Parts: sequence; C-alpha cells; structure tokens
Amino acid sequence: MVSTSTLQLHTLSYSRQIAASDVDIRSNLLFDYYGGWNKRNSNCRRIRGFKKYMVRVMTDSLGGGGEEDTKGNQDTQIVVAQNEKKELSKLQSLVGRLEDTIISLPPITVLMKRNPGGSFGIGLGIVTMFLLMLVKGYVARQKKNSQPGSVADLVRRGQLKSDRRGISSSLKYEDPFNNPMVKVSKGNSTVEMCGKVYKLAPVTLTQDQQAIHQKRRSRAYQWKRPTIFLKEGDPVPPDVDPDTIRWIPANHPFATTSSEIDEDLAQTNVYQKHGVPFRIQAEHEALQKRLESLQNDEKLGKLVIDPGTAREYERPYRSHSKVEDPHEETPTNGQAGLKPPRSDNDLNSLPKKPSSEETKKPEAKKP
Amino acid sequence: MVSLQPSSLYSSLTPSNLHNKQLSSKKYAIKSLLQYNRKPQLAGETPRVVVITSGKGGVGKTTTTANIGLSLARFGFKVVAIDADVGLRNLDLLLGLENRVNYTVIEVLNGECRLDQALVRDKRWSNFELLCISKPRSKLPLGFGGKALVWLVDALKDRQDGGCPDFILIDCPAGIDAGFITAITPANEAVLVTTPDITSLRDADRVTGLLECDGIRDIKMIVNRVRTDMIKGEDMMSVLDVQEMLGLPLLGVIPDDSEVIRSTNRGFPLVLNKPPTLAGLAFEQAAWRLVEQDTMQAVLLHEQPKKRGFFSFFGG
Repeated sequence: MVSTSTLQLHTLSYSRQIAASDVDIRSNLLFDYYGGWNKRNSNCRRIRGFKKYMVRVMTDSLGGGGEEDTKGNQDTQIVVAQNEKKELSKLQSLVGRLEDTIISLPPITVLMKRNPGGSFGIGLGIVTMFLLMLVKGYVARQKKNSQPGSVADLVRRGQLKSDRRGISSSLKYEDPFNNPMVKVSKGNSTVEMCGKVYKLAPVTLTQDQQAIHQKRRSRAYQWKRPTIFLKEGDPVPPDVDPDTIRWIPANHPFATTSSEIDEDLAQTNVYQKHGVPFRIQAEHEALQKRLESLQNDEKLGKLVIDPGTAREYERPYRSHSKVEDPHEETPTNGQAGLKPPRSDNDLNSLPKKPSSEETKKPEAKKP
Repeated sequence: MVSLQPSSLYSSLTPSNLHNKQLSSKKYAIKSLLQYNRKPQLAGETPRVVVITSGKGGVGKTTTTANIGLSLARFGFKVVAIDADVGLRNLDLLLGLENRVNYTVIEVLNGECRLDQALVRDKRWSNFELLCISKPRSKLPLGFGGKALVWLVDALKDRQDGGCPDFILIDCPAGIDAGFITAITPANEAVLVTTPDITSLRDADRVTGLLECDGIRDIKMIVNRVRTDMIKGEDMMSVLDVQEMLGLPLLGVIPDDSEVIRSTNRGFPLVLNKPPTLAGLAFEQAAWRLVEQDTMQAVLLHEQPKKRGFFSFFGG
C-alpha cells in the first residue's frame, strides 16, 4: 500500500512537472501503473527512449542555431538553455525515481485488486478438482472391494498383507511357453525365464532305459495292494489272499477307528444326487415317529409346562378343546400355564396325578 | 534339436497350429495373436484320475497339486482336487479355501450331506473344486477308504449339473500306509514329486515300484526345488542325474523359489501371481505337458551369465 501511494504521488508530481505536452507519457505511465509485471520493462525502455529523444531535442535546439541569429539573441538563448538544462536534469531525476518506483511495484497484488472475482474462480476450481479426486478414489475403492474372492477379500481375511497387494493380482496369459517371460533362443540352447538365462540340455532317457528300470523295480518290490485291514489277533477270513492283508498294530490310531457306517449305505450316499441326505432324513423321520408315538400314547401333556403354547403344536386336540372350552384360549394371568388345565382332565387322556416336576415347579417359583 | 515346447502329436495337429503355420509367413503380429490364444490339447479319456505322490514328506506334493490344479483350471479344464490326506490335510490352506470347507467325504459317506454339497468351488476359477476326505479330527474307516474314493470318482463321472470333470487330482499323503493305498486306488496315472536328494530319491523309487505293482504304468516325475547354482557347483544332483537314477519321464522341473513359501502362507497359489515367478511358470508348463501327455525334451542345466551388449557399459 505504501508503494502504491508513493507511486501515485510521483505520477502526480511528474505530470505536474512535465506539462501538457507530455500527455502521452503520462497516459503511458498510468497504463504502466495498472498494467502487469511483463509490461513494466518494456515501458521502462520506452521511457528511456523518450528521455534520450528529449535530450537530443534539447541538444539539437542548443547546438542547431544558424549564423543568421544575432548576438543579443545568443545571450538570451544561453540563459534559456541553462534553465532548460536545469529542468532537464530535474526531469531526468524524476524519471529515474519513477523507474525505481515502478520496479518496486508488486504487480500480483495489483492484479488481485483489479479482478476480485478471479480469486474466487481459482478457489472454486481447486475445490472442484479436490472433490473430483475424492470421488474418483472412492469409486475405485468400491470397485476393488466389490469382487468376492479378490485380493481385497484376501486382505480382509488376513492372508495377504495390504502392502504386497501389487504382486497378487492374477495373471492372464494362456501359453506358458510363449509369453513375455519365457524366451527360447534361436538355437534352442538357452532359455530366458524371468530375466535369467538358463542353459538347456537334451533329455537322454530312452524307452529301453525306462523298461530296464521297470524290470529292476518289479524284482525289487513285490507288492500287492492291501484290500483288507486287520488288527493283530483278528482271524483271517477264508476267501482273502494273505498277501493283500494289511496288519495294523492294535495301538495304531487307525486300528481304533470303528466303522459304524454300513458299506452299502455309504455307497448309496455317495451316489445320491438330489434330495435330502440319508442321515438328515433318517433323523427327521425318527423325530417325527417319536412325536407321533408320544401323541398316540398321549404323553404329551407330561412334557408341557405351558399348555397354551403346547396346544398350538397339538392339532388333533386343539379342535376339541376349542369346541369344548373356548375360555381356555385366553389365559387369565401369567401363571395360567402353571395350573393343570381343565381341558386335559376333560380329555381323560392324561394321568390324574401330576408329575413330581409339575408339582414342584410352581412351589419353587412362589416367593 | 532341444526344445521346451510341447512336442506331442496332439499339439502339432491342432487346427490352431495349422493355421499358425499358414499365417506365419505373413505378419508377425497375427502369428503372435494366434499363439496367445493357443490352448493345450486334452489327451486321453476323461476324467483323468491323477494321483500326486512322493513317498517322502515335505517335498511339495500339496503345492504341486494346488498349482497344477489351478493351472489346469486356468487352461479351461474342469478340475476336482481331492485332499486324500486323512489326518493332516493342507490343500485347503494352500488354496485359501479353509474357511469354506464345511462338509467332507466322511459326511457324504455318513449321509449327512450330498457330494455336491461337499465340493468347494473356488471363486477365482469356478471350474476348480476342492474335496476334502475328512476333517482333521475325524477318521476315515479303513475298511473301505479305497472303495470310497472309487465311488467318489464314479459319482463325479455321472455328474449332470456341473458336468464330468476333465481332471481329478488326488493329493496323496506321505508314506506308504493306509492313506497311500486309499489315494492310489482310483488313479490311472501318477505324478511323482521328488527333490534332488538321496533320501527323497530312495522313497520315490520305492513308491514308483509300488505304483507299478498296483498297475499304474503312466508315471511321470516332477523334480522340485532345483537350485541351478548348486548344480553348477556340483553340490546338488542335476535333473539328468535324477532321471538316470529313477528312469522316469520328466513332467517338469521346478526351480527353488522363495515365492513358494510366500504364496503358501497367503493361500494364493503361485501360478496366479503377477508378475509371474520362475516356479509358477514351471508349474504352468508342467500342467500343460500333463494335459497333452507330453514330457520334457530339454532340461535347465544351470544359469548362464547374461551376454553384455556393446552399450552395456553405458547402462544399455
């Protein structure tokens, strides 16, 4: 601010000193004042040129007089010339000060002052760019996380460190013999794999050599695959080749395994393609049978603590109870379930005497 | 003369290869595009039941099963991997599917679930399924362990909904006990995994003998954990030495790679790694040869120093 005010003062004094003939230079200077840093040097150059021109004009006017001029005039001219010289020196010093002031001017501040809307635009642009970057990062992260079984998934499971994710994206090439990582030389004597060059040697194994080795092994290892496993002490079945028996020590972990699975049943289980698995179905059927038998034996009431809830599962009796005594549907208080219901007695299906548990529980719950 | 490329009859007679030959003289770009889309030609009757065994423990059977299985699935074949290790199953861990194993073969035999419910489908490659024989604490009845696997294979053959699998890979437990017998019972072919050391070789030879006695004649060998620097220094048997001792055709040679341990711990098989690792590439090549019933024609001997160019001094 200080420099700006001084500049204004100087320009004013300059304009006062130079007079009306120098309107152009003032306008130039004002233009320079509001102009940018780039224009400043060129304008300085222009001012220097103007200064030279003024000096040249002055000197021309001083030294360019003809012989026709009189001596009286010469004296007056000398005085005028001396005055003009003084003014010129003053003007030069002023111009020099002006130059210094212009050089010391901070042009960006001036620009910002001139265009207050520009800073807002720049700020808006930066904020927009930042927001775009954030959105892009978020979208990329969502894409990475969306794939199940991906590297991100592995990182989540803790099997992969997040700082080594770069090496864990799966590779997609289809020919392991012809890809950028494997290059066989022209003479087939070397191969370059993963940047390392290996010398190749031809395989010399022949069919005859293979046959010789097979014969050697067949002589060395006489073996039949065991078909039966017996614990030590078990009797040998009559139709079994003794060579195919694998004898297991009694303390061997395998020997302690008791096979509860029926072989034929296991085979059908393996071949089953659809439907409920055998064991699940068998368990379900067993439970159903048990329930039915309980219902048939009418022992269900024994197990029931809350007959209100039990009746929901007890379909055959529910209809009877509804018909006979509809009031029992609405329990009178919280302990309704604790009392033996009348409907049970009416049905004559349950034994008269309550079980020991039923008699004890209400007593125990009383404070 | 020496080639890493599969040289089987099947691959050379495929229509895509014929097309390649016709187009090879035209433009390089077209040729490379066609080769990129090449797929291995499936040889043999499906489902091919392959047991992966070794005799000795800790040589990489489960790693091989996981990587070859996923490679086959990536080639587009339907694969069912059966973890036949009754007490000490680990295949589910290597595949990262341990949280999804709810039912096993034991539950299927007991009738607690159907077979299709016990199969765990891999979400990365949907044509890969895992089947575990049992949970760690449960025990398979010895009497019909082998028979149970035969039934399973038959049931998988007759599958209607997912279709019959092209490959059934059986991860065999170590040793030659009941687990081994169970695992090899339904198999038609075997992949023997060994490392270039004498303990592993002795066990491998014995297991090969037992497999041959059982009638499995199609046995191929994968030599795992090969260190070319040690071979060069004559501190390790070379692959050719191993082959000379066992007399088996080579399916693959897997270089020793630290990435194997890393991928095992992450539950993310090696063949899916990007960038591809040396061992992962070797597993993929082995899987390719398995599909085409091909064997290696050349093996890696040792690492050669890279030839330095004229501008190498300037970093070129």
